[in-house]
Amino acid sequence: MTEGMDTSSAGASTSAVTTRSAGMRLLGRLPTVLWLTLMWVVLWGDPSPGTVIAGAVVGSLCYTVAKLPHIPVRLGFRPWHALRLVGVIGYDLFRSSVHVAFHVLWRPAEVRGAIVAVPMRTDSDFLLAMVSGGLSLVTGSLVIELNRDQGVIYVHGIPIESDGAVDRLRRQVRRTEELFVRAFGTAEDVAEFERGDLGAQGEDR
Amino acid sequence: MTATDVVTAVLVPLGALFTLIGTIGLVRFPTLLNRMHAATKPDTVGLLLIITGAAFQLPDVRSAAPMFLAAMFQFVTVPVLAQTVGRVSYSRGMVDSERLVVDELEEAVRTTRDDD
Repeated sequence: MTEGMDTSSAGASTSAVTTRSAGMRLLGRLPTVLWLTLMWVVLWGDPSPGTVIAGAVVGSLCYTVAKLPHIPVRLGFRPWHALRLVGVIGYDLFRSSVHVAFHVLWRPAEVRGAIVAVPMRTDSDFLLAMVSGGLSLVTGSLVIELNRDQGVIYVHGIPIESDGAVDRLRRQVRRTEELFVRAFGTAEDVAEFERGDLGAQGEDR
Repeated sequence: MTATDVVTAVLVPLGALFTLIGTIGLVRFPTLLNRMHAATKPDTVGLLLIITGAAFQLPDVRSAAPMFLAAMFQFVTVPVLAQTVGRVSYSRGMVDSERLVVDELEEAVRTTRDDD
């Protein structure tokens, strides 16, 4: 069912690219231009009308020159879960840094790692990109490879000495995925994630 | 010395310490993937602490905004870099398998080759 929906929406978006009117195209690009303008104003540190107009012009020019593709962003946003995500990521980042720092100073040559394969339960491109970004940022983990077809993510983690640590890394990856899906996934993504979650639990037992 | 000065005095050296340790790790870790860990995580925390500490010395929020942009770009770019280097090093066989407890990617690659 999900695959069917995906192909139909992909088909719709490709046909939309060719048939979309100039006005619609402009509207679709507006958020990016607004974002670029905001960056410009923040960098100048001066929200006067002249800066805003200059920023909008430069932003539009950059957009035209770079020929950025129009990607339909389908993401949700749940403030409470996003806050939880920021909290957990921040804590993980700090904790893993202390962890890595300790191993830097204490016998770095003996540190061993592991590469584990973790099947992802979500199938959204945006969420997968966010999860792998978040994972590479924290938890002593580094995403090495992402198998898009099967939705499997390969994570390198240190320090890992035992099978127990491997399981911990796996759990951490799955928890990070859940946090991202709940914070930024659409209702569809969350429903799909929960279906995958139940399926994975069934396999474990 | 005001309260903000105390915050700065704590955060900036702490951030510098994290960055220093990250750099030491870059030298001391024996494998490329471990070095990537040392180069990314402690450095990100270090930069964040230094930026936060420095922001307390600024007169208003407006002048602190570009610093938080710098932090944001760090958060966005570091994972991309880490991932690219990790992936290239793995595919070029520069990962020392003796230092890995488990390597499930290798198993997956082998299965795919058997299928071909």
